[in-house]
Amino acid sequence: MVLKVFRWAPGAREQLQEYTIPVQEGMTVLDALVDAQRRLDPTLAFRYACRVGMCGSCAMVIDGRERWACRTLLSKLGSGPVTVRPLYHFPLIRDLVVDMTPFKEKMVAVGAAFVPDEGAAVFAEVGGDSRERRRIDGAIECIGCGMCVSACTMVAHDARFAGPAAFNRVFTLEEDSRDAGQGERRARLLEEDALIRCHGQGNCTEVCPMEISPTDSILALRRRVVSRLLG
Amino acid sequence: MPERRVLKRQLLKAEGWRDTKLGMWAWLAQRVAAVALVAVIALHLQNPFVRTVQALLLGLVLLHGLLGVRAILLDFGLPVRWHRALLAAALGLGAVIFVVVWGWRWY
Repeated sequence: MVLKVFRWAPGAREQLQEYTIPVQEGMTVLDALVDAQRRLDPTLAFRYACRVGMCGSCAMVIDGRERWACRTLLSKLGSGPVTVRPLYHFPLIRDLVVDMTPFKEKMVAVGAAFVPDEGAAVFAEVGGDSRERRRIDGAIECIGCGMCVSACTMVAHDARFAGPAAFNRVFTLEEDSRDAGQGERRARLLEEDALIRCHGQGNCTEVCPMEISPTDSILALRRRVVSRLLG
Repeated sequence: MPERRVLKRQLLKAEGWRDTKLGMWAWLAQRVAAVALVAVIALHLQNPFVRTVQALLLGLVLLHGLLGVRAILLDFGLPVRWHRALLAAALGLGAVIFVVVWGWRWY
């Protein structure tokens, strides 16, 4: 199997470097990258940690689609060469490694951080079967892999748009009765680079490895802020 | 200061369109239909009796309008997981309306 890997370093020209990898049953793209690095090219840079589909740090663009390399079987990608590129819309560090700092910065910029309510109980009780919990449940499992940001065409179009993960996080906070940051967040959500920028293409939802739908979260947030505006 | 480089999908290269999702195609089709409508309406106003232009006008209005209805339904709270079914429904309904209207000669 031929692995075509995006290579780039500051000051160097980008290229797709080919590595021929002997495929074994059950081999993943991450296994192939590790094999290429150990056997053929120790300078190849990529990021991974858990190797079992929990942390999301091996997120990359494999055959044109954002996927986690550790959970992508080579056998599912067909017989042709497999192309591996870094996530889009993040600053490149080198080869397949991107700088995730903007991911956090955008979260902060849009107010996607919990603001504790003064005087609230230290340990809040939110019942598993409560309406509040059920509304949030589908959106809380984000692992911060950045695949949705990479897949979002609106992030490409407008660098100030915080992107799907940040607004998904805002949605969980806006629906959280323990959070006191809703008033402060309101103006930011109404800005032209915020909720209105999403065009509902659903690319983020398609690629999320945790099966979260940031599109649903953004549309729900829009209905919420419009309802507030209309009183 | 190290060089900061951010990759984007290159729309003039095949790689940039690889794995383009259905929701994206639906969005693009609605936008392209809108732009095409401007040209077709201009042609239609010059001579309203050209059958090809009439057919194009009807087809584009249906495509643009029904994809718009799909987007509105999603905006108003239909789950995004239904978006494929909604696209199929919009295209199917559009095709049926086109055949019915086109077959109905009133002049």
